[in-house]
Amino acid sequence: MDKKKMKILVVADVVILVALIVILMTLKGGYEEQAKRTANEQESAYLEKNTQVLVEQWRSVDQYSMAWKLVYTVLSGAKSEAAFKSALAAIESDKDARFKQISHLYTGAGINDAVQNGIFQKAGLAEGTILLKNEKGSKEVACGKNCVVKFSYAKGKLKNVDYSALVQYNLANSLKIEKPAEYHFE
Amino acid sequence: MNLKNISIALTVLVFGVIAMLFMQKGNYVNQAREHYEATTSKSFKGNSMVLELVNNGIEMNKSTWAIACGALQTVRTSQDMARLEAKFFPATKGNMSLANKTRRFEASSANVIVANFAKVEEDKKTGVKSLADLQSVDVSVLLGNYAAAAAASDEGSDEGDEE
Repeated sequence: MDKKKMKILVVADVVILVALIVILMTLKGGYEEQAKRTANEQESAYLEKNTQVLVEQWRSVDQYSMAWKLVYTVLSGAKSEAAFKSALAAIESDKDARFKQISHLYTGAGINDAVQNGIFQKAGLAEGTILLKNEKGSKEVACGKNCVVKFSYAKGKLKNVDYSALVQYNLANSLKIEKPAEYHFE
Repeated sequence: MNLKNISIALTVLVFGVIAMLFMQKGNYVNQAREHYEATTSKSFKGNSMVLELVNNGIEMNKSTWAIACGALQTVRTSQDMARLEAKFFPATKGNMSLANKTRRFEASSANVIVANFAKVEEDKKTGVKSLADLQSVDVSVLLGNYAAAAAASDEGSDEGDEE
């Protein structure tokens, strides 16, 4: 290669080198920002979805606990339809007792107060009433996810309480925490 | 000759920088992936554990409630109560107090019920004493009212030999 061509090559190299360094510096910030942003977005989406399962579990335990308390109160107290109504109203409106009962179950299961409070801050208590059906002689009460307790009355008197769904209650079949998906750079 | 060396070195440098250009994206993606995997796997493990522990807690809790509510419907004597307990917890036995006319069943420290009976009965043939006429079942502990439960449960436990 002659000297002239060599000079051209050196100049071209220097120009390309400078251009590459400029591109390198420009892309560096872009890649860093993009990688952090996509990672944060995907983390937040997963944590949100994940936490939602615990929120649903907490609210289900609230309904489950109220349902047991109602079954117990109905069986141990007056057997009229009016007594059912007042027992249900008393149980649903006593929010401190509801929290205490849920918290007791969580504490007994080995979940500490900080974790419980974290879930409670997001979940609160189950919204609305657990009364699903309120016909004369027939009442149905929600006792958690996919769980219903049935009360039947004849001539205003308690005839039967079917709480077999509560005895067989199993959240493991309906609530699952999904494994995180692979991270993808977008 | 000198110019030739410089041009070779510069060309090598150019290829080096091109390689860096491709590698830097990979580095940032790897860093982001590591952070994502660490955060999400910690959350997966922690939340799965909470979910499982609570589900296990429900298993014991529901059986204790089932004994309490079943007792209100079917139990008359402490023998009936013992049979009901054994149906749900074959390995755990309740504690009977003849003095207080109570039978305390403790599946775990968080799952306790106390059945209150009206009288003590004695089998004339065998001389075995038992409790009869169930009056109520105390579920204070299940409701989280430890104070009420503690006040109600200072009975001595003179275990009746009835099963």
